[in-house]
Amino acid sequence: MIFFRVIRWIVWKDLLSEIRSRENISSMFFFALIIILIFSLSLSMDTEMVKEMIPGILWIAFSFTGIIGLGKSFLVETQNDCMENLLMAPIPKGAVYLGKLLGNFLFMLVVEIIIFPLFVIFFNLDIFGQIPMIMLICFLGTLGLAAMGTLLSAMTVQIKAREVMFPLMLLPLVVPVIIGAVEATKGAINADPLKLYQQWIQLLAVFDLVFLIVSYWLFEFILED
Amino acid sequence: MHKLIKWMRRLEGWFGLAAGIFLIVGLYMALVTSPPDYYQGEVVRIMYIHVPFAQTSLLAYLVLFIGSLWYLWKKDPVVDNLNHAAAGVGAFFTIGELLTGSIWGKPAWNTWWTWDARLTSALVLLLILMAYLMLRMFMDDHVKEARYAAIVAIIGFVDLPIVYFSVEWWRTIHQPLSVSQRGLAISQEILIPLIVMTIGFYLLFTYMVMVRTRMLYLGHLLEAKKGRLLSQAHL
Repeated sequence: MIFFRVIRWIVWKDLLSEIRSRENISSMFFFALIIILIFSLSLSMDTEMVKEMIPGILWIAFSFTGIIGLGKSFLVETQNDCMENLLMAPIPKGAVYLGKLLGNFLFMLVVEIIIFPLFVIFFNLDIFGQIPMIMLICFLGTLGLAAMGTLLSAMTVQIKAREVMFPLMLLPLVVPVIIGAVEATKGAINADPLKLYQQWIQLLAVFDLVFLIVSYWLFEFILED
Repeated sequence: MHKLIKWMRRLEGWFGLAAGIFLIVGLYMALVTSPPDYYQGEVVRIMYIHVPFAQTSLLAYLVLFIGSLWYLWKKDPVVDNLNHAAAGVGAFFTIGELLTGSIWGKPAWNTWWTWDARLTSALVLLLILMAYLMLRMFMDDHVKEARYAAIVAIIGFVDLPIVYFSVEWWRTIHQPLSVSQRGLAISQEILIPLIVMTIGFYLLFTYMVMVRTRMLYLGHLLEAKKGRLLSQAHL
């Protein structure tokens, strides 16, 4: 089906250019590293405090690095009139959105997989048994950030002051993702019973679902010209 | 001239007048005839402007949402002017809500600010409205600006209930809603001035939005006449 072929091609194109240039992932990775450094320097934490604060720091690192990657996502399409070609191509616009979303989601996930072990090492976390649950939370939280970020990136890439406007619009809108992800991660890291924090995981899932549907529909209006 | 603008110019003054009357009567009832609260004393009187501010900012957001859907459907530039006006006026009422709430919070909770559910979601609403207005500031192409702004408004409106539930789960100390389906928790002496004030605020909001819409419309018209507007949709 053309729909899935378009998604596959766009993801493949983004992955290929990333593998060749390594621009996105390396800049996101080093930015995350700097965030870890700044936080550990500015907050003096003992072992008990670490457990309280790590989920917050983790998601600040994830969402800020996400902003770096997502903000640039559609910038590459402006070179060589890629945007115009995507507009003119007889393909469903929703597939373009899902393709870009999937690419962004994969980049963010790769960076998270690299920096999460660094968190474990730097802050001496003991979370071995909780890894599947933390992965699920990261998956849902990142999907929410990427769903909203991809839509806003397509929009802000076409205006001036995009570096300012992108985080300014994204961050207030993803407040539920941040709260849900931080609270769920806190529960998982402290090895609480699932009952205590499953509502946050449900919140993340609802957010993801709602914003995938809404963004899929609204994306057509962004590319309409 | 556009039908909507003509209609607004005719009704504007009446809405302004009605708002003035309701606000004067409402303030008299709120400050003079209504009794002080049993627990909070005279302090409670700030409620008569705080609650209408909050109600009106929600109304503004509802208008913005419906107007944005309408714009994406019909692509009428005057509806976009209306949306822009509703967002700006809505931001004003949201700031009023936060300021009066903060002033009330100091004597009632002994703190200017607390990260409670409704305060936090009101702040997030203000930030979304500000992002919306800033997006419009940074764009030159009016047609694109209108479309993008409508998209942001719709996302924000869909987001708001999720924001509200997430912060409510997160923490809450705000007093429960006084007017609920289970019955009235406040007496008539307080409820009636509150309703009069709220109607006054709604009328004031309508008046401000009408004036602002006409202002934005005339600004675009001027630009179009100067030939600077690419789409001649206003002419």
